[in-house]
Amino acid sequence: MSFARWVSIYGSTYWTGLAWTAFIALWASFGAVVWGCVLLLIRLSAGRWGARGVDAYVQLFRNTPVLLPIYLIYFAFPMIGLPWPAVVCGGLALILQNGAYISEVLRGSVNAIDRVQFDAARSLGLAPWGTFRKVVLPQVLVYSLPALGNQVVLLLKDTSLLSAISITELTMQAKLLTEQTGAAYEAFIVVALLYLVLVSSTEVLFRVAHHAVRWR
Amino acid sequence: MIPPGSLALLAQGAAVSLLLAAAAIVGGTVLAIVLAAAAFSRIAAVRALYRVYVYIVRGTPLLVLALLLFYAMPALDLRTGPYIAGTLVLIIYTGALFAEVFRGGVLAIPRPQWESARSLGLPPVAMFRKIVAPLVTRYTLPPYVNVCVMTVKASSVLSIISVWELTLAAREIIERTFAVFTILGLAAAFYFVMCFGIDRLGRRVERRLALRGFAGERA
Repeated sequence: MSFARWVSIYGSTYWTGLAWTAFIALWASFGAVVWGCVLLLIRLSAGRWGARGVDAYVQLFRNTPVLLPIYLIYFAFPMIGLPWPAVVCGGLALILQNGAYISEVLRGSVNAIDRVQFDAARSLGLAPWGTFRKVVLPQVLVYSLPALGNQVVLLLKDTSLLSAISITELTMQAKLLTEQTGAAYEAFIVVALLYLVLVSSTEVLFRVAHHAVRWR
Repeated sequence: MIPPGSLALLAQGAAVSLLLAAAAIVGGTVLAIVLAAAAFSRIAAVRALYRVYVYIVRGTPLLVLALLLFYAMPALDLRTGPYIAGTLVLIIYTGALFAEVFRGGVLAIPRPQWESARSLGLPPVAMFRKIVAPLVTRYTLPPYVNVCVMTVKASSVLSIISVWELTLAAREIIERTFAVFTILGLAAAFYFVMCFGIDRLGRRVERRLALRGFAGERA
């Protein structure tokens, strides 16, 4: 079957998959950034043991594949009385994993803040929480924008793994179409192109944002 | 309580995962050297081809590439098919990542090094062997090790195209015994040991290389 013909017949079936992928990626990215900030706050403010705990958490998630937390939450939560929908389970796993990476990214940017600013914050009478929220966080997020963009792209690609827990995002859609029609090439090439478009537009978005907020 | 026999199965799965990763790292490194050479080619079309390759491989999920290759190989025997497709896709994937790492390493070589090599009249092969290779190895070791760790983790994706490795072994045991926490915890421990081990090994090699009278200075 010619490629154009394939798109004209099955093109519309991709919309649901595209919507799910974009939806999950968007919310999981947002959640992962928030979770990364929380981990950073714990690391900075909860003393030596807080920092050690965050370190252990980060090491654990850095050295294990994402599929494990996905399976863990999807299979184990119903057993402990939390029958959440697969989308929530998958999204949560992505948040836990990527939050670990993002907290490391943010930690790197904390070092870019001039030490003098902490003295200035204290002399202004800002409490530790105020310092974190008004001085540290805004700057750290701006400094980290390019690296955050990279992480969001990785998360976006990792949403494809959620097809393993029966979420009908793009990859699952391609699988289903392949099983229905027996045409694997067409089904997966369209999906690969859609991922390329999503990834590229995310990269452009972050580059534009980076230029917009750069204050130097 | 660990379900009987599951530990041995998981260990076997871990061995397969490690084998897949090792094949991908070796194959990917060879591919990456060729790709990095293409990235610095004098022919603009070859450089463009390199960029397209990296753009496609880095812009699509590994799972999509794996499924594409898996479905594209129906001619192969069903038992070996997933393994060949899986190893191939891992090589394609790590090749792109390693190539970017090497490319960055070559770009990091200080300009005086090139100039002095040229003024010494070194032929291209000697230049590569005596200047480029030793410098790039040292510059790129940390990110290289990083990609190696990623490769071990990425091999878990192949469980979805029915490559029997650690993650699929864990899934199978869970389907039989419902011991979700124990089995996934053990699988995580296996992955952790492998990835952490590679990381530590990389650091040791880094120190070994640094000791041989090389200051590791950068431009």
